[in-house]
Amino acid sequence: MTSNDVRDAVREAAGTRTPVRIVGRGTWLDAGRPVRATRTLSLAALSGVVQYEPGDFTLTARAGTTLAELTAATLPHRQYLALDPFGDPDGTLGATVATAANGPMAYAFGGPRDNVIGLEVITGDGAIVRCGGRVVKNVAGFDLTRLFTGAWGTLGVVTEVSVRLRALPAVDETYALAIDERPERLTALVASVRRASIAPFAMELVSPEIASRLSLTATSTLLVRLGGNAASVRAQRTVLDTFGESRQVANEVWSALRSAEPAGTIVARLSTLPSNMAQLWTQAREALAGVPGAMIVASVGRGIARCVLPDDASDAAGRLARCEATVIFERLPAGLWAELAPSPVSDRLSRSVKDRFDPSHVLNPGVLGEEAR
Amino acid sequence: MAASPTSSAPVTALSPQLERAAARLASIVGPHAILSRPSELVTYSADGLPFYRKRPALAVFPETREQLIAVVRALAEERIPFVPRGAGTGLSGGALAENDAVVIGLNRLRRILSIDPENRRAVVEPGAVNAGLTRAASEYGLHYAPDPSSQTACTIGGNVAENAGGPHCLKYGVTLNHVLALTVILPDGELVSLGSAHGERDGYDLLGAFVGSEGCFGIAVDVTVRLVKNPEAVRTLLADYTAIVDAARAVSAIIASGVVPAAMEMMDGPTIRAVEASIYAAGYPVDADAVLLVELDGLTAGLEEDVALVERLCREAGARAVRIARDETERARLWQGRKKAFGAMGRISPDLVVQDAVVPRTRLPDILAEIHRIAQETGVLVCNVFHAGDGNLHPNIAYDARDAEATARVHHAMRAIMRACIDAGGTITGEHGVGLDKLDYMPLVFTEDTLEAMCRLRDVFDPERRANPGKVVPVRSCREWHMAPAARREAAPV
Repeated sequence: MTSNDVRDAVREAAGTRTPVRIVGRGTWLDAGRPVRATRTLSLAALSGVVQYEPGDFTLTARAGTTLAELTAATLPHRQYLALDPFGDPDGTLGATVATAANGPMAYAFGGPRDNVIGLEVITGDGAIVRCGGRVVKNVAGFDLTRLFTGAWGTLGVVTEVSVRLRALPAVDETYALAIDERPERLTALVASVRRASIAPFAMELVSPEIASRLSLTATSTLLVRLGGNAASVRAQRTVLDTFGESRQVANEVWSALRSAEPAGTIVARLSTLPSNMAQLWTQAREALAGVPGAMIVASVGRGIARCVLPDDASDAAGRLARCEATVIFERLPAGLWAELAPSPVSDRLSRSVKDRFDPSHVLNPGVLGEEAR
Repeated sequence: MAASPTSSAPVTALSPQLERAAARLASIVGPHAILSRPSELVTYSADGLPFYRKRPALAVFPETREQLIAVVRALAEERIPFVPRGAGTGLSGGALAENDAVVIGLNRLRRILSIDPENRRAVVEPGAVNAGLTRAASEYGLHYAPDPSSQTACTIGGNVAENAGGPHCLKYGVTLNHVLALTVILPDGELVSLGSAHGERDGYDLLGAFVGSEGCFGIAVDVTVRLVKNPEAVRTLLADYTAIVDAARAVSAIIASGVVPAAMEMMDGPTIRAVEASIYAAGYPVDADAVLLVELDGLTAGLEEDVALVERLCREAGARAVRIARDETERARLWQGRKKAFGAMGRISPDLVVQDAVVPRTRLPDILAEIHRIAQETGVLVCNVFHAGDGNLHPNIAYDARDAEATARVHHAMRAIMRACIDAGGTITGEHGVGLDKLDYMPLVFTEDTLEAMCRLRDVFDPERRANPGKVVPVRSCREWHMAPAARREAAPV
C-alpha cells in the first residue's frame, strides 16, 4: 500500500460522496463520536519506517506503523519517541497524531503537537500535502502540521509522520508514594511537588482502583518517573522522600497504567489550572464515588484528570460533565454524545476549515460532532 | 507625531478611500497616533533586513485593546489591507507594507496584564517586549523561555507571528511550545479565542495554526504564555577549534550523548574576529576557526557530571581548549558576544544580510564546508553564527549595498546556500519566517498542492487576504486570487 493508493481511495470517495471511516489498527474505534460512514479505509498495510538517522534524532514512518514497532526500531540506538498515549501499544503512529493522544510523559515532553515535525496528509479532495519537514526547527509557511494533528482525520488522512526522538536517560526510575487525598493535604502536596527541586519525566496521581490493578497498595498513589544521570536521579529521590515514603517500582508500571483501561468504558478528561488540581481530584472522586470499577489517573503537573468508568454509568458521566473544569469526553456510549459533549468544531472558523480541507465531508464524518452535509 | 491627516499636504496624495480611512483612524486613535507624511513613514519602510524598502500609506498606533479592535474593524469596513508590526526587528521583510496598505504598530500595547506565578503563566499585550516579560517574571523565579537575539526590543506579538526561536529553544522549545491561548481580532473584525488558558482544548488546533502565521491570520489582542522556572544552576562552556568541522563533530557527539544542553551555539572565525574587534569583545580566541558555546542548566544535582561529559566530548572532537565560565559576569560576557554578533558585523561593512536555514544535525559538517566553498566561489564574506544544536544556520553576508556588482554576488551566494540546505534535507527558515524574502524559495521545499493547502488555511482566517498581503506563500500558488494587485510581488531589492 502506498500514499497514492490512499489518495485514489479518497478521490473516489469524494467523487461518489461516499463517507469513509479511517482506521489504523482499530484500537481507537470506540473513541470519538459515532462516524457516519459506509466504507472503511484501513491504513494498517501502510506501515514501516521510511527514514531514520539516529544522529539527527528524527524518524519518519508510515502512518500504520505501530508505536511498539517504533520502540523496536529506536531502542537499539538508545532513543525513543516521547509519546506514550493511553491505550494499546499496537495503536498506530497515525492514530496517535490524528487524535493528538498523549500520556504521562506529556508532562515533560509535550504531546503530538510538540513532537511531530512533519506530515504527509491526503486531504478530502485528494491532494497530497507534505507539510513541515524532517528538521527539528522549521517555520517555513503556514503550520498545516499543527492543523492536521488532533483533527481526528476529518481534514485529511495522515499517511506519513516525521517525529523528533529523545535519548534514553542513563538512569530511568519510577517511585510510588502513597498519598493522603484529603483536600487540604492534597492541595499542599501538589503545590510543594510543583515547587520542589525535581524535574520528573512523568508524575501521575492514580486512584486506589488503578493502584491495585498495578499491583500496588490499593490507595491513592503518586507515581513519579525520574530520568537523568545517576547523581541527578539520586538527589531527586531524596527530595521525593520529604513528601512521604517513596518506594521504587518497576518501569513496567507505566505500560501497565496505559493499558489499564478495559474496553467498553466511558473516558472523560477533566482539566483545569494546575493550582486547582487538588479540587479537581476531589470533584472527580466524588462524582465517581460508588461507581464500580471507576478509575482516575491525573497528570498533576498539567492539571488533567482522566476518568474511566463503565459504559452503563451514564449518571456519573453526567456528574463529570457538570464538574467545574474543562471536560472532554474521549469515549461515550453513542446516545450520550449529543447530551454531554457539544461539538468542539461548530464555530465559524472550524466549519470553514472543514469545508476547505474536506469539501465533500467524506472523511470520518461526525467523529467531532461536525455538521452533516 | 503627525498633524491631523486632514491638514497635511501628503495626505492629499492618498486615494479617496485611504483618505477617508485616515480620518476614521485618526478619530479612533487621536491625530497624534497616525502617521501619513512620507518623511514620518521612513522608519516603517524597512524591518531588520536591509534588502527591502516599501513605504506604507499610513501607520496607525492604537494604545488600547478597544482602539486596536476599532482600527481593524474600520479597515475591514473600508476593505483596506493592513500589516501588523511589533518592534520591526523581523528579518524576512514580513512587516513591510505596500503603499495601499496601513501599518498597525502594536508597540504602544505593551502592558503585562497579569502574571500567575503559581500556574507559571502570564497574559500580555502584543507589544510587550520579550525581555521585559522575563524581567517582570524574575521576581517569582520564572522567565519566558524563547529568547531571540533581538529580545531586548522584539515583542511577544511579533514572536507569536514569527514563531520565534532563540538559543535556548534547543532545550525549552520555540514560541509555539510556550503559547497557551490567544485572543485574536480576525481581519474581518471578529474577536475569537484560540487555545485555552485553563485546561485542554479539543477540536482543531487553530492556536497552533495561528502561531507563525506571520501576521496573515489576524492580530493577537492578548497572549497567554507559559513561564518557566529559572534553573537552579547554569554552567557555560566555550570550546575553541582550529577547524570548524571539528566543532560540528562535537555538536553531533553531544546531541548523541543524550545530554540536552540549554543552548549550543557556534561562531566561525570571521564572526569571532568581528566580535572581538567590537565593543562586545567577549574574550573569544581570535585565531580560532570556530568556537562552540554550550550552556547546561537545570537541577544542581547531576549538572557537574553533564558538564564533565560535554567537556570531554568537546576535547575528543579536537577542541584546543575548553573554558568554563567561573561566574555570572564571565558567563554574561561570553553570551554578549554571541547575542551582539550581528551588531558587531556592522564593523566589517555597511550592510549585513542575516540568513536563516536549517539542516539535519548530522549534515552540519558537510553544509559548513559547502557554505565555505560557495563563499570562495562568489567572493563574498560569510559569517556563520548559529544555533548548532538545532541545525539552525545563520550564514550572514557582510557587503556594501551601494556596490551593485557586490550585491548581485551576495544574492547569488544566498540562493546557492539555500539550495544546498534544501538538498541536504533541510528547510529555508528555522525562526525568521518567510515574509517577502523567502517567497521564491517556497516552491523549492513545498509542492504546489502543499502551497495551495496553505492558501486554503489562510482563507479560513482571511478570505479577503487583506492581512499582510503578498507574504509567506507565493501568489501564483493560490488558485483563487482576486484581491491583490499584481504589483504586490515587485519587491525589488534596493
